[in-house]
Amino acid sequence: MSLDAYRIETEPFFHAVGNEIAQFEAAHADRLPMMLKGPTGCGKTRFIEHMAWRLGKPLVTVSCHEDMTASDLVGRYLLEAEGTVWQDGPLTRAVREGAICYLDEIVEARQDTTVVIHSLTDDRRILPLEKKGELVTAHPDFHLVISYNPGYQSVLKDLKESTKQRFCAIDFTYPDAATEAAIVARESGVDAATAAILIRIAARSRNLKGSGLDEGASTRMVINAGKLMARGVTLGEACRIALVQPITDDPDIRDALSNAIAACA
Amino acid sequence: MAGGSAGRSGKGGYLKLVVGGGASEGGAAQGGSPATAAAGSDPTAIDPRAAGFPESHAAPWLRACRKLEGAGYGDPVVRAYRRASLACAPLVGPGAAVDLADAVSAVTIKAGREAGQGLSDAAVNAAHRAKTPQLFLSWVNLMQRLAALAPESIGAVLERTDLLLGELGVSGLDSWAMAGIRAGGNDPARRRAFFTMADPEAERWFHRETGEVAFLEVERRMRAYLASLFDVHLPLIEAPAHLPPARRRRTSFNPAMIQVPGAYPGYRGEQAVDIYRAALAHVGAHLRYSRERFPVGALKPVQVAVVSLIEDARVETLAIREFPGLLRVWLPFHIAQSTGVTTAPSLFARLARALIDPDFTDIDGWVRKGRDLFQAHQGALEDPAMSRHIGNLLGNDLGQMRVQFNAKSHIVEPPYRDDNAGLWHFDDDMMEEAESELATEAFSLREQDGDTDPPDREREEETRPDEPMGRAAPDETAAEREGWLLGRYPEYDYVSGMEREEWARVLGFDPPDGDGARADAVLARRRVEVDRISALVRSSRVSRARRMKRQPEGETLDLDACIEAMTDLRGGDSPDPRVYQTMQRRDRDLSVQVLLDVSQSTADRLPGRGDTILDMEREATLMLAHAMAAMNDPFAIAAFASNGREEVRYLPIKRFEEPFDRACRGRLFGLQAGLSTRMGAALRHGARDLAGAGTYRRLLMVVTDGEPADIDCPDATYLVEDARRAVQSIAHSGIDVFCIALGDADEQVLGRVFGRRNMARIDKISRLPEKLPLVYLRMTA
Repeated sequence: MSLDAYRIETEPFFHAVGNEIAQFEAAHADRLPMMLKGPTGCGKTRFIEHMAWRLGKPLVTVSCHEDMTASDLVGRYLLEAEGTVWQDGPLTRAVREGAICYLDEIVEARQDTTVVIHSLTDDRRILPLEKKGELVTAHPDFHLVISYNPGYQSVLKDLKESTKQRFCAIDFTYPDAATEAAIVARESGVDAATAAILIRIAARSRNLKGSGLDEGASTRMVINAGKLMARGVTLGEACRIALVQPITDDPDIRDALSNAIAACA
Repeated sequence: MAGGSAGRSGKGGYLKLVVGGGASEGGAAQGGSPATAAAGSDPTAIDPRAAGFPESHAAPWLRACRKLEGAGYGDPVVRAYRRASLACAPLVGPGAAVDLADAVSAVTIKAGREAGQGLSDAAVNAAHRAKTPQLFLSWVNLMQRLAALAPESIGAVLERTDLLLGELGVSGLDSWAMAGIRAGGNDPARRRAFFTMADPEAERWFHRETGEVAFLEVERRMRAYLASLFDVHLPLIEAPAHLPPARRRRTSFNPAMIQVPGAYPGYRGEQAVDIYRAALAHVGAHLRYSRERFPVGALKPVQVAVVSLIEDARVETLAIREFPGLLRVWLPFHIAQSTGVTTAPSLFARLARALIDPDFTDIDGWVRKGRDLFQAHQGALEDPAMSRHIGNLLGNDLGQMRVQFNAKSHIVEPPYRDDNAGLWHFDDDMMEEAESELATEAFSLREQDGDTDPPDREREEETRPDEPMGRAAPDETAAEREGWLLGRYPEYDYVSGMEREEWARVLGFDPPDGDGARADAVLARRRVEVDRISALVRSSRVSRARRMKRQPEGETLDLDACIEAMTDLRGGDSPDPRVYQTMQRRDRDLSVQVLLDVSQSTADRLPGRGDTILDMEREATLMLAHAMAAMNDPFAIAAFASNGREEVRYLPIKRFEEPFDRACRGRLFGLQAGLSTRMGAALRHGARDLAGAGTYRRLLMVVTDGEPADIDCPDATYLVEDARRAVQSIAHSGIDVFCIALGDADEQVLGRVFGRRNMARIDKISRLPEKLPLVYLRMTA
């Protein structure tokens, strides 16, 4: 079984804001477990795809969810006609064959699940498969990366201290206006002037964070608005369906946001 | 007034004469008619047919006149009626005009002769406005009711009939008047203040009834708009009523807050929302682009005004550069025309328009000069010094042009612009004082503002600003008035079916300390019940149901476990029999806010026993709190009592983040019974505290001995319906409300407020353990 399907062939576009590429490369050289922190839609996933491409490593992504159990990560026995067959989970495959394993939104998973990564994140670099009675030693290329959105979870859902302390972390935020406009222009195909207006509009929405919105419009949302405009949708409509309507149902906040957006152009 | 109207209505020839004392008034000119000669105080001397009354109503009218005459209200009342009925008859029909007599009689009895006479005089205006007999009679009816409810104020209302009916219509006037009755309660002086429009409350209701948008309705939207556009997160407060009207007409800002007019008179519906938006965008532009305040120094008032105008234009131009859409927000309010007399107000408005409207040209030299100077500085807009420079030049020019400028009556135009007080540094102590006062008020409001500032109770504790309000009940002693404003809450008026915004004021009070040792004694004495309650609380599971895998029994098979069991079987191992899954509530994820009614009635002794209802409340709360504290459940306790709508007292015994320690128990046992039960406001405030709790279920538990009541509410149903409404809206927001009724509380009423299923009655403290499961049952249902 090869991980070729998990290799990224073409360069995913990523615009570095700071020194994060060099930082990640350094951490990767020592296989230090990494944590990517930041609000939703600011480019965490894109970053790891870009790094996997840059480093030429396969990337195994797992989106964590509430009902995820340890065997969803590690693997389980399956029944087949001629008997039982062990099926490696995504984490085990990455460990065996040497891939970057990216656990997206790790805190969504139950806490007992997150504990299985502990033995992989210290100098042991092993994964015990209890069911199978096997101890998998990690391939030298195996690298564990998780993402973590600190603002989004409640106090109840936080990483255990013992988990947190095993990671290095890179903070992601929305890039500055000029950079973000360049990203939006490149990704959506709108011209630079329109992209600048869209970024100004996004800032209006981010100003409301904590004053009516839980989170402002992400770069991803702005790109979506740009894509709509590139298809001929007017600015006002694109903003309404891509930036206002998805983000809140509160009529007062919608009104305020729509009017602030109207002021931008 | 009546004479004038009578003359007007006489155009159809319907009204032939004016009788009685009308000789010296408008009707005298028509005095050629035969009936006039006989007009005296004796109505029989007049032929009603000649007076315009149709045959069918002549006799009733004569009877009505005679009845008034015979009642001994005095000549003026009778004469006024005669005059008015004749004037009204052609407008609203003779039947209504005859019916007016009964109302005159009733009003005179309730409110005196002047009022009776006033009713007749006002009736003519009302008839003009009402046009139909139905509307006219409902107005008459309303006046009659008002005379009974507020005899001291009826005169003031009658005097303003034309204005009130013109703006509000009869039904609007009805709601407005009823609001006044509620606002004033049993206090004639306050009622009078309302009906003479001296009370700002009256104005607010007036705006509301006229369709003008009150600031309160748009506050949240506007706050979000300002935050979104300029990242400005200052509190917006409505201009306080104690300021002179001139200072309440425009927005005003300082670094701590933005003061906003309660309404913009004349702007209705969407227009009103637009002007608020324009006003806040303008203030936002100042806050972003105006830097240090200008020193007033030796500047003349006219220079201050012109510099302010230029500064307004400067920040707007900068704002439009960044947000081109703002031009569309501001431009519609610039309506000055380039014609007319060159007075200072007109020139100012024209210059303001010339500086923002690219399509506006003015013929006036001064306005053109201002525009040219401003254009010449386009490159230096970032620097506020240009406003000062241009303003000084233009101000001097005005002086040389001998244009009169009246600083006293000067008001900034267009109305969306602020009063410019935030731009200047006045040396005047008065201003500073007024400002700091506003700042204090803003501060106390910000403390309350859950949206922008999460409740920081520690700070609240330290500063606790006394709220500058002159409306507290007069019979309080200074020592008792140490409450701090926690919030204003609406109240629901079941009569009009409307919520009254900011009607009840909830004040925080420090609960007196009591003897915590008494609590320990109770816990020791009630050991058995305490243990039972603790066990109950411990065993109750209030949380989201969770899927439990690998259970020995359950309602569904756990597929993973089944497969494993099969693989084990095939592999020759003995399988794990736990192959089921089930949904269970395992954890406790519940926060509780307990509200204790400590009104005067809780001092009553329980029938046949030595302890009071308050004692029982304390013991029940103590036992429950003890159990919850042992389980680490977040909970808070507060007591409430009220003294009219301006003073709903709220005494925090234990806050969510405090441990349930000896001090808390001491406060619980230090509670004193007193005052009344305004339950709705207390519920709303308790729910607000609870709303922030991030738990799966939230429970607001009210412990009371009876129905809601307060001194300023003679109508028993009013507060009951309000509390019911409060419970409904709280339940709607996902908070469970449960009532524990003690003593001989009226179950009918409490059932209406809380719903039958959401209350339990406890007549003996030993029965609390029996009833408590009811609460938890509701929570897990």
